Amino acid sequence: MIEALQQTGFLRVRVWHFFNSFSGTTKEGVARKYGVQGANFIAYKTA
Amino acid sequence: MSIVCPVSLDREKLKSEVRATYAKVAENPQGEFHFHRGPEYAARLLGYDLAELNALPPIATAPFAGVGNPFMMDALPSGGTVIDIGSGGGMDCLLAARRVGPQGRVVGIDMTDAMLARARRGAAEANLPQARFEKADMTELPLDSGIVDVVISNGVINLAPEKQKVFNELFRVVRPGGRLQFADIIVSTELSEEARNNIDLWTG
Repeated sequence: MIEALQQTGFLRVRVWHFFNSFSGTTKEGVARKYGVQGANFIAYKTA
Repeated sequence: MSIVCPVSLDREKLKSEVRATYAKVAENPQGEFHFHRGPEYAARLLGYDLAELNALPPIATAPFAGVGNPFMMDALPSGGTVIDIGSGGGMDCLLAARRVGPQGRVVGIDMTDAMLARARRGAAEANLPQARFEKADMTELPLDSGIVDVVISNGVINLAPEKQKVFNELFRVVRPGGRLQFADIIVSTELSEEARNNIDLWTG
């Protein structure tokens, strides 16, 4: 995701926060197995 | 951390499955799904302010199925233009509409009719006319180039089989100096071929 954003032309691409979005769902085990989490991203278009 | 849609997965079928899944969420947010929904989840696991969510129409908040919190990163500009990619029931759009104020505008983009109906009704009930909703694919936004201050999205871009097209389109509509602040899923391990071809995992 970060590489794709950078290749598109976005700058200062960062992941800011992580979330256990699948905690308590029926897919919690799959999420844990593959390391799936929610995350916040920020990216800027140059001025 | 990226996911590329495998060649063997039918992209139109994937879009159709995504639409069908989220139509079911719109029709019955309390139904059985393999992802969380609603404002209590948003407050408990994602850091939203429950009091603020409870002040919004339940028709907009009940089907919320985001995976993060785009509002944590930076304030939205008063009077600015914000778009929400995959706006669903409209919860994030209504929050954004409050932040940009009556001089701003928020455009929610979604491809599910039932979600769009909920979102439009929610904006009317919340008296937030600066929020409007458009049916569109996220690779072909019905917006002029360079007009958007901030793009938000929450758990939707990962559903797109052609992510580069989505990013290209976002780059087109964002003004110079504008930004993306969105939430999505990340995968920290390499997915097996079986997992990459499992449409159930893509639609969740």
